[in-house]
Amino acid sequence: MATDTQVPPAFVGGSAPARHMKAGVTHAVLGLFLIAIAFAVLGDDRLTHIAFDRTLTDLDWALPTQGIVLALGAITAAIGVWMVLGIPQRRFKPAGATAVTAFVLAILIWSYSEPGAVFRAESILAGALFLAVPYLFGALSGVVCERSGVINIGIEGQFLMGAFTGVLVANITGNVYAGMVGAMLAGSLSTMLLALLATKYQVNQVVVGVILNLLALGFTSFMYDQLKKAEGLNDAYGIPTLTWGPLADIPVIGPVLFQQKLVVYVGLVLVFAIWFLLYRTRWGLRTRAVGEHPAAADSMGVAVNRLRFWNVTAAGLISGFGGAFFTIANSLAFNKNMTAGLGFVALAVMIVGRWNPLGVLVGALIFGFTTKIAQDLDASGSALVPGEFLQMLPYAVTLVVVAGLIGRAKAPAADGVPYNPGDK
Amino acid sequence: MRLELKGLTKKFGSFTADDDIDLVVEPGQIHAVLGENGAGKSTLMNMLYGILKPTSGEILIDGEPVSFSGPGDAIAAGIGMVHQHFKLVGPFSVADNVHLGREHTLAGGVLAAKAARQAVLDVSERYGLRLDPDAICEDLPVGVQQRVEIVKALSGPKTELLILDEPTAVLTPAEIAELLDIMRSLAESGTSILFISHKLKEVQAVADTITVIRRGKVVAELEPTASEAEMAAAMVGRAVTLQVDKTPAEPAEPRLEVKDLTVVNAAGVKALDGLNLNVHSGEIVGLAGVEGNGQTELARCILGLLKPDAGHIAIDGADVHHHDPARRIADGLGYIPEDRGRDGLVTEFSVAENLVLNQYRDEPFAKNGVVDAAAVRKRAVDSIAEFDIRTQSPDEPAASLSGGNQQKVIIAREFSRPRRLLVAAQPTRGVDVGATEFIHNRLVTERDTGTGILLISSELDEIYALADRIAVIYNGRIVGEVAPDTPREVIGRLMVGADLGGDADAETDPRTRPDDDANGGDR
Repeated sequence: MATDTQVPPAFVGGSAPARHMKAGVTHAVLGLFLIAIAFAVLGDDRLTHIAFDRTLTDLDWALPTQGIVLALGAITAAIGVWMVLGIPQRRFKPAGATAVTAFVLAILIWSYSEPGAVFRAESILAGALFLAVPYLFGALSGVVCERSGVINIGIEGQFLMGAFTGVLVANITGNVYAGMVGAMLAGSLSTMLLALLATKYQVNQVVVGVILNLLALGFTSFMYDQLKKAEGLNDAYGIPTLTWGPLADIPVIGPVLFQQKLVVYVGLVLVFAIWFLLYRTRWGLRTRAVGEHPAAADSMGVAVNRLRFWNVTAAGLISGFGGAFFTIANSLAFNKNMTAGLGFVALAVMIVGRWNPLGVLVGALIFGFTTKIAQDLDASGSALVPGEFLQMLPYAVTLVVVAGLIGRAKAPAADGVPYNPGDK
Repeated sequence: MRLELKGLTKKFGSFTADDDIDLVVEPGQIHAVLGENGAGKSTLMNMLYGILKPTSGEILIDGEPVSFSGPGDAIAAGIGMVHQHFKLVGPFSVADNVHLGREHTLAGGVLAAKAARQAVLDVSERYGLRLDPDAICEDLPVGVQQRVEIVKALSGPKTELLILDEPTAVLTPAEIAELLDIMRSLAESGTSILFISHKLKEVQAVADTITVIRRGKVVAELEPTASEAEMAAAMVGRAVTLQVDKTPAEPAEPRLEVKDLTVVNAAGVKALDGLNLNVHSGEIVGLAGVEGNGQTELARCILGLLKPDAGHIAIDGADVHHHDPARRIADGLGYIPEDRGRDGLVTEFSVAENLVLNQYRDEPFAKNGVVDAAAVRKRAVDSIAEFDIRTQSPDEPAASLSGGNQQKVIIAREFSRPRRLLVAAQPTRGVDVGATEFIHNRLVTERDTGTGILLISSELDEIYALADRIAVIYNGRIVGEVAPDTPREVIGRLMVGADLGGDADAETDPRTRPDDDANGGDR
């Protein structure tokens, strides 16, 4: 081939600094708000207490609240100013993430500086991981479905079916682990219906998902009323907390990682297992192909609808198991609508995690952490930020992330699109 | 491999797509199948590749009858196919796309990434098709994506027959020349090739033998020495004039004035870089250039879909910067978009509805905000007759029409109301010879009534056939305005940005970006 005599295209921007007025002003205002709070509300004698409540019980860190809030406010404001003056394109997102993190940290430190409030680091982090579990299972189920090109909006319904069936089977067999298996099968039964309608009958998947949610809610609520009439069908069954001997005594890591219930470990293993399966195996390659460009997969001899059917059915095992969290992992009996919409939050976690199991882990931890903080602040009676307000945080995070702060979340190209052999 | 089709027939309900097709491909032969859109070529290939099941008839490979229940069987039998719409998973690497469906694996279904890369390198070396196995497909230029498709087709366990379905439809002239070379060298090394096309020049250049299909039937077997006129006549079923008759242009007052137009795209690249262009009434200005050099942005700016970052556009002497597309259309701008599926038609709507998409608010099609269905239908019946749109009825959804007939719907719509300036982008893309002839003649008639026409085309043949003046666009600028009798070589060089003495290579142009169609957006 001949030599290339072209002029490279004229670039505008690239690695050169660019101004971001809106984001910059927003961050600057947030930072100034913190600085103002530090001077106006916080005296220089205000302290934030951090305790390691499970291992080093006699240690008590007292941090100067005013100084830290000032510093974090200054960081946030400085990043805002940087954005207004011009920031290299590749630094924009990390800087934005730093500013948001600093702001949230400052609010936390401020909240825990109220008289009587103590940030019990180990309990809170361990609880955060535990509370991340339902999001983890729901979102992973969603990842498997949507990577295959089927939208599973019925995770909430699978949670309910799993939560209910788990308790019922545990009561009938007297074995809590049989209950967990029952939960998985119940979830799978629900997604199998979705899989059938989505592949064979090519029904609109969002509609099916909504219907499945309502069906699960109605069915479990009805059954709950029926079970109340009999004894010993809806009693609470629990699973023990596993303690890994001396490992559990390591500060912070011990209580968080080595003193948890089985579901936590299953969830963590599943994250890496599904990541490996998706990106390193034949099944994963075909699954992603079917979700991105089913006609391409079909032309290479991959049976698109059969793969979708089995993937979606298998994903139900995961979300069904996630349902067992609500009853068995929490040692609770089943109650009407006890999943309280967390199945939908799991969908948000999936999007925050950008349809990637590792991203899902990060998303689930953020949601678990904010949920835990909200609970803890509520219990400690910190009057500063109402607990309800903090409970909004996961949703605010979703909005910010989905709106593109950390990056545009891009769904698999054929997500939710039925496939007919012969389609282009 | 010797492939023989005997009496192959495919019926969809009462409609016969392919009727009793006989065809033989000898080993190492390039066998072209010519036919108009909707003649049954793609149906035939889909049967050969196992995507569709024949209603009757048989396929013989080396004398043995075979039956395929899916593409997997065809691949196993040694058939590889390069589809008209590329079947590449955009976010996958080249190696992943090539081994999808027949993965190189270690124990337990774990992918063997190294083996997959090596296999791509082996095949690309054996056939001289340069490829980077780690490149992400959606980032590659269309020509390279097609090379990936060819390597993929050749990577079957024993590929001996390659089906190329309209392979040149999306390629630039330089890429086409390269593809034809690749085909010749493949045939020399013993691979049989079935080449589906409706482009006569390419078929002439490369085929060993030609089968012409019309309305699902084999109507002629031709030698490559046959003239273009012969081939066209066989395809269409009547004599076709390939030359457009036209008188010298009589340009009058300016209809379109584009001055210093600059558009910066999302990636921060100047898609248009201070472009200047004028079109006068009564002339056709042909805008030649390799796709992706700013043609799309220019057309969208003229219509008003895209706001320029700098510069001015005047239509009929009036600056239109603050006019929205509806206003510009009402003022007499006609627009034939390059991507008819996306910008030209609402494919779920009926033919009749599509025919009034730009006028449905005006009398007589609407009164007091209510659409008059009878008036719309009457217009549709008239247009269908006048423009020879082949459709079952005006109520048929536009999606069910062939590409050529969809294009006629757009042409009919744009030509059925008074206009002063027409922007025609790739007006005959994917359109067969008969319809092309029709569209070209209409464009010339249109010019003769005094409309200014900007013809944007990546096909030099089309530019030569119609243009009264040729402007060449490269990197968002007009790099030359020449007379219509300028030799091809000169324009070819301008198109790749070389100064007239230099030498250049269109294929390495970083701006030749794959279009949606090519990377899996085609659903």
